[in-house]
This record gives sequence, structure tokens and C-alpha cells, in this order.
Amino acid sequence: MTSPHTTIVVTGIGVVSPYGVGLSSLQAGLLSGTCCLASSTDLYPGFDGAIARVSGLPLLVGNSSSHHSRSDRLAVVAACDAVADLNLNRVDIQQAGVVMANTVAGLSEIDPSIAQNPAAWYRDGGLLRAATYPVARVAASVAEHLNIDGPTCAISVACASGAMAIALAANMLLDGAAPIILAGGSDALCPFTSSGFSSLQALDSQPCRPFDQHRKGLNLGEASAVLVLETLAGATARGAQILAVLRGWAMTNDASHPTAPQKQGSGLALCMTRAMQMAEVSIEDIGYVNAHGTGTVLNDIAETHAYETTFHGRSLPIPVSSTKSYFGHCLGAAGALEAAITITAIRCGALFPTLRLTTPIESSGIDWLLGGVRRQTLPLAMSVSAGFGGSNAALIFGSAHQ
Amino acid sequence: MTMQPPAITGFGSVSPFGPLAGLIPPRVLEPSPITAWETSGLRRAFLVEPFQPAAIVPGLKTRRLDRLSAWAMVASSLALQDAGIDLTQLDRTRVAVVFATGFGCVELTEAFYQSAAVNGWSGTDPITFPETLANAPASHVALFHGLQGPNLTIGCKSFATECALLHAASLLRHNQADLALVLSGDTLTQAVYEWYEAAHLLSPACFHDVPLSATRGFVPSEGVVACVLQPSGSSTSRSYASLLDGRWANGGTPHRSIQQMLGSSIPNLTICAGSGAPCITGSAACMAREFTNPAAAILAAQPVAAGLADSGGLFHLILALSSNPPKGKALMLATSGDSGFATLLLELQ
Repeated sequence: MTSPHTTIVVTGIGVVSPYGVGLSSLQAGLLSGTCCLASSTDLYPGFDGAIARVSGLPLLVGNSSSHHSRSDRLAVVAACDAVADLNLNRVDIQQAGVVMANTVAGLSEIDPSIAQNPAAWYRDGGLLRAATYPVARVAASVAEHLNIDGPTCAISVACASGAMAIALAANMLLDGAAPIILAGGSDALCPFTSSGFSSLQALDSQPCRPFDQHRKGLNLGEASAVLVLETLAGATARGAQILAVLRGWAMTNDASHPTAPQKQGSGLALCMTRAMQMAEVSIEDIGYVNAHGTGTVLNDIAETHAYETTFHGRSLPIPVSSTKSYFGHCLGAAGALEAAITITAIRCGALFPTLRLTTPIESSGIDWLLGGVRRQTLPLAMSVSAGFGGSNAALIFGSAHQ
Repeated sequence: MTMQPPAITGFGSVSPFGPLAGLIPPRVLEPSPITAWETSGLRRAFLVEPFQPAAIVPGLKTRRLDRLSAWAMVASSLALQDAGIDLTQLDRTRVAVVFATGFGCVELTEAFYQSAAVNGWSGTDPITFPETLANAPASHVALFHGLQGPNLTIGCKSFATECALLHAASLLRHNQADLALVLSGDTLTQAVYEWYEAAHLLSPACFHDVPLSATRGFVPSEGVVACVLQPSGSSTSRSYASLLDGRWANGGTPHRSIQQMLGSSIPNLTICAGSGAPCITGSAACMAREFTNPAAAILAAQPVAAGLADSGGLFHLILALSSNPPKGKALMLATSGDSGFATLLLELQ
């Protein structure tokens, strides 16, 4: 039974992406089919791949003496963007909560010499930089810069983190932990993660081709996206514009393999089914899935199986695309960024295709979105995330007008 | 909270007291000299003695894992054993894992940096990389026990454990899980210890053989504590405590929040938690006196738990419960250096 007090709505979206700052720049980039991925050799000596960078990221100013990592800065800029036009007063902001996802956090600030002589590295200026390492730091930076006093925490569940931050924030709102919660994710490009994915031979040196039979791997990007969530009752009481309704959410784990997804995508299928159960909607009601779709061989086939299982029996194939083909995999930010894109798809009535998808994985149950933007009314859509360690998350958003 | 409050029905721990199921028999613990890396003079900490995980949990394979992952698997197994849980009798798609940590798998993160220092970023180790992720311990717990419910790794400045417990309770309350394994902990490495030292946060007891009670700062610690959280009445096993309510905040007005949480409840015990020096005279204890009855006991934070920067909450709780505290309502309270706080209202059984 839903009521205004148990209905979670989105009233603000802040984005920093390779398209720039703001949801409008992301929307324009997606509608124009602009790919932000570009070859790079300067992440570290020997790196040769396609990445998507955020350019012109401002330094943070304020009264803090802390050093801020690039992930901190991305998060703070996105959070400020999220609340910029909301007419929140000082008390609203002060009482808000923060749930921020990350996987990189301060790794971008630390160099390998720390492992050889930590004390010397700290003496040489590393002390404040290393302070950006803890899991909680990005969320704390957002709270500090916005003068937020409410419950603040971080979540780090690999590439499913961003979506899970939104799910946890929704639970917190139902618990009355705070009247408004800023939830999202932030991760910067850095040698540590690039080297790690490269060592796993998971990177495509060219712009990635999610769900293509000839896909060769993923590309890395950087971004932050922050959603402002509150209950419908709270949003209505303060006259807020409602951008979308978070109708359902779920989280599961494959418990199958430390890194590879369960081959049949069973954990992800269970996750999507549970999200639909919470939303009290059927497979016919979901009009679009913004997929995890990294472009790796193992992820994309497992995810395909998950969609076939979940949407089996649907009268028409389920439309699916991966927007990682535009700006790469933004790790801890990915789930939040793709939630923002899913809401944008609903609000614009636009299904964004997967770029460079020419020979999709064969599936009779999936309507692979390719070519141009498809225009259609979209009352409900799902955003799906998965990550190392077998974690899965699914979010179902609905139109504000339903 | 409107549902029946969830209960803690089992504990498991890997700590400087060793790997244990259930409560920890009280004994005075002194910090040990560090020998795992070369130090310039005496350096002490509360350390977990090396042990064979498979000797504690038969069949457990922990080769090439961060110690944090290995300890999480051991502690979770011991907590399930203590709770008398037979996982084959449960729907494991509805068992959640919620892990609280300050630094995550910092040991293998340092190893990965070491490989980059020696071989360059192009020569790093592919097996190490996934094990550096903060969620690796929770994932290994899920994999080992076959747990397919929500799997979360939480960080929260100073209060990661309290935050994880409240998120786990929320999963139960909203029917997103039937049972939750909640874990919290960290490992101590050279880079972490030397960061504390460079930041002048350490107690003189780290450098000299002096009594802990007479010191400022803190002695770093390590370990993982796990507990089983179940809806009340869902199990025939005994309950250590029920989690009645809880709050945490980055700042604001802790007094008002705690008063709202307590309502008409008057705890007869305060469990001091949080990092840093023992808090019997600290801000948490001062605040606690305002909410408890005048005769209420205040259990000081134990230095061995206070040495876990963000993730000591469960360690504080298990040590408090191990000291045979009075039954009834208890307030667990932690404050940070600024105005942040976390508080749990418990009913001790």
C-alpha cells in the first residue's frame, strides 16, 4: 500500500559528466548521440585506451583545510548542481542526509611510492592526500561543503554502488531518518583502477561496443551524479517540482564468483523481479531498461540471459540499451548517472540507443536499441547495475505524471 | 521503528583476543610490539595473532585474500554458529550481508601499489586487483555461505558500524531480507599505522611501555566482529540484545535527536563507543549522563575497540555485553571530534 509518506520521489538531479556540468548537457549529449570516448595514452606510461574525462572541473573553495580528491570534487559539484534550483532553505539543507557511492575515492591522490616508504611519502606532502582514502570521505566532503548535518554515509559495492546508494537512501526516507536525502555516486579516473582493469584484460582499446557480438571490453570514464530524494508528502508540502517517482528498488548478490557474473544472470534476474514486485508492476509495464552493459564478454552475455529470464513471456521484446557506449564505465558513479539518464528518458520520451551496436547478441526477447533515438512515451523504466563481487541492483522509475 | 525490533542472536569475532564464537571472556589486553614491518624503535598496537582460518572454519580457503576478507569469513561463520543458524534451512536469497569498514582491503591495496612501484602501472597483478575493492570481504562472505540477498559495504566517518546496523535493520523492516549478517572491522598495515603516527594521533603507549589509562591519543587496533540480526521471534535461539532504535548524524543537535529517540525510555546503562581515547570523561559520557537515570552505569570505551577508527562499534558492543552488564535498556553512544554522533537504543537480554 503506497501513500504520500511511503512514495519516494526525485526532486533534483545534479550531474558532472564528460559532457559537462548539469543534466541539460548530459541530455543534449545523449540526444545528439555524441560519444565522449577518446583515445588516451597519458593515464600512465604504457596505457593505451579510450577513456572519457571530465574537463574543467573546478577546485573547491571554502573554509576547509582538507585536501580534496578528484572524486570528492566531482561529488561536491554534482551535489551543488542537484540542489541549485530547489529553493531549499538553510534548515532543509542542514537536516538533509547524504548517501554517496564510490570505489576510487582518494586512490587518485596516492602514488605507488606510498607502498615503499609510507612515512617518507607522508613527510613529502602525502599526509593530507592519504586522508582522502577512507570509504566515507566522498560523502563527508559533500556534507561538509553543503553544511549538511543529517545522517551521512558512503557505500562501496564496486560498480553497483551508485544504484545502491539510491536504494539505501529510499530505505532511509521510509525510516524517517531525514526529510531529504542526496544520493548518488562519484568516481574519478585514476591509474590504480585503469591499471587494474587493464591487468584483467577487461579494457577495449577502442570505444566499447556493449552487447555487440564483437565486443572486446569496457572503457573507463569519470562522473558524478546526485539525486535529491524525498517522500511525496514532503515534496508536496514544500511545493517541490517532482521529476520522477522511484517506484521500486532491489539488491541481490550472485554468490557465484568473486569477479565474474553468474553465467545465466540468475542473481540479476532475481533482482529485477524483486524490484518489480516492490513497484507492483508487471513485465509489460516496464518500457525500457538502461542496462549495466559494460562491453565485456562475460558481463554482457550474463546480462542478456538475465533479461531473457526476467522478461520471458512479455508480449513484445523489452527495449534495452547501454549508455556506457557514450562515456564509458564510471564505476561507483555509473548506477547514479544511469538512474539520471533513465529519468531523462522518461521525461523526454526518448530511448537512447547503444552506440556502435551493429551485430547484437542474438536474442528474441530483447529489442536492442540501436541507430537513432527512439521517441515514445515511457511511463516506467528500469536502471540495472552489477559489479565485482556479484552484487546487483535494480531501480524502477516512473513518470511524475502517473 | 514500528515493527518488532530486530534482535542480535549471534556473535563471532576475529580480534586481538583471537577467533571466538559468542562473547569474549573478559581479560586485560596490552598492546603488542609490531614485528610485521620494520619500525624505528618500539611501536605497539592491538594486533590479531596469525592463525589458520581453515583450522577454525573447516574448508575455508583464504589464499591470496586480504586478511580483512579472511577474517570476515571466519567471523561470519562463528556468528552463525553462535546463533545456531542452519543456512540450509533458510531462503538464502533473503539473507543480507552488511559490512562496515573504514579502510577496506588496505593490505592488498598496498600490495597493488607495491607491484606498480616495482613493475610500473603496466605490470600490476590481475589477481590482486579485485581483492583490493572495499566490498571484497562482504562478497566473500556471500560466496562462502551462498547468501544471495543484499550485499552492502558501508563507510561512515567515525560511525560505520552503527550505520551498518541501522541499514541492516532497515532491510529487515522493509522486507528486503529475512536475516542480516552485520560485520565491521579493519586491518592494520604499515601505511595506516604510519599515517596515524605522522598525524600525531597515537597514544604514548604505542611507543613506550606505559599504562593505557594514563595516555592521550589511541592505540591502533584491528579485527572483525560479526553479528546475526534477525526479526524478534523469528528464532528459538537466545538473543543478546534487541535493537530498538538508532540515529546517526553528521552534526546538528545530538541532544534533541537522542531525546526524540528515547521518548519516555530511561536507559540504565550507557555503552561508550567511538574511536580515540577512553571516553569515561569524554563528550559521549557527559552527554549520556543527561539521558540516563542517576544511578545508571557507564561502560567506558575499551581501548582495544577504540583503536578501530570508524569500524569499532560492534567491538565496543560485544565487549560491553561480555562484561555481564545489567539487563534492560541501554544507550550506545559515540561522538566524533566535531558534532557528529551515533546512538543506538538497545534492550539487553
